[in-house]
Amino acid sequence: MAGSLTLRVITPERIAFDQTVEAVRLPGADGQLGILPRHANMIAALDVGLMRYRAGGKEAALFVSGGFCEVRDSTVRVVTEAGERPAEIDEERAREAERRARERLSQGRAQTGEPLDILRAEAALRRALMRLRAREFRSE
Amino acid sequence: MASIRELRSRIKSVGSIRQITRAMEMVATTKLRRFQERAVASRPYSQEISGMVTRLASMLGDDVGDRPLFKKGAGERTLILLVTSDRGLCGAYNSNVFKVLETWLLEHPGKPVDTFVYGRKGYQYLTRRGRQVERFLVEPPLEQTDYRAAARAARELTNAFLSGKYSEVVVLYTAFESVVRYVPKVVPFLPIEAAAVQAGGAKAGDPKASGPGASGDVLLEPDAGTLFDRLVPRYLETRIYNALLESLTSEYASRRVSMKNATDAAKTMQNALKRVYNRKRQENITKELLDIVGGSEALR
Repeated sequence: MAGSLTLRVITPERIAFDQTVEAVRLPGADGQLGILPRHANMIAALDVGLMRYRAGGKEAALFVSGGFCEVRDSTVRVVTEAGERPAEIDEERAREAERRARERLSQGRAQTGEPLDILRAEAALRRALMRLRAREFRSE
Repeated sequence: MASIRELRSRIKSVGSIRQITRAMEMVATTKLRRFQERAVASRPYSQEISGMVTRLASMLGDDVGDRPLFKKGAGERTLILLVTSDRGLCGAYNSNVFKVLETWLLEHPGKPVDTFVYGRKGYQYLTRRGRQVERFLVEPPLEQTDYRAAARAARELTNAFLSGKYSEVVVLYTAFESVVRYVPKVVPFLPIEAAAVQAGGAKAGDPKASGPGASGDVLLEPDAGTLFDRLVPRYLETRIYNALLESLTSEYASRRVSMKNATDAAKTMQNALKRVYNRKRQENITKELLDIVGGSEALR
């Protein structure tokens, strides 16, 4: 075999994913990272986004909220605070978070709020949007 | 001596106390197990984070010591994070923590100290003695602590340290060693000791990763310094999360033992009372019999 790749998603609460895959695409902090079997050792920072992987010829996705990824011994370890399968994502909650974040953004901009608050709201908005996008993968 | 009726009601009340403590013992057992499981579940995450920190630290070499989080703070105060429980009835859990606190304060005389407190018991202890509590962490309640709450606390401690008011930050929590052994202790939190971070991996994990040559051929995205600076806050978060989970596990282990003792003591007391009660009852019957016999004798 051309070598296999183990993908493991590790969060503080659990191991969210542990499976052999053929390829992984990760939202790196400086752009997408594609990882195939026999990839060189690597440590990379991740951004909030979708992690896509191919297993058994089928594409699937997982939501990751930033974190880090380490490739070592043909294992990809994604170390992140939240890694959720599409089916696990609470759509209501994500929509609610999106609405709140937008609200805070429009308010914050109007009254020139703390720059930190705006950053935080933006981050929250991105998380909500990414969760919703991951959610769409459920049907595929 | 108590009357028969008094004895009966005491037996009953001891019995219901016993039922309550038994129920509390069982609740504590379940919660103990739950926190233990969570502590185990969090271990891979902490290990991966500290593994990466170690690997990057060995690549950075002496640079590590120059970072603000690795240098002694500019201020002279010490910040203590005190982890206690919200509720009582858990044996000596809290008083052991306070004992360690007092010892630590005695060993560091003349050092101005600020405290961040987890748990209502700790807050009460300090305020009753007229000491200042800089910050009382109540939200979310201890029992519902999750990683995000721990991360927030870690961030607050880090910001306080970086504000230049403190020379160091320490955490006083109860380390959970086994179901019957939990030891409160003071551990340094900030500044991080560069040597500890660099050596950590050799102990913690796979020799392959920390072995010679391993660092040379690793791709880094972005560079080692940036990655390291992003990782270190995560590393601090896992340490606080761990301290909280271990303290909570210890609290419930301690509560379970003390509730078990209370249940056993209630059982013993109930037996003793029952013995007295039965003897008394017997006496009364005998007395009544004697009366009847005496009465019929007299009639004859």
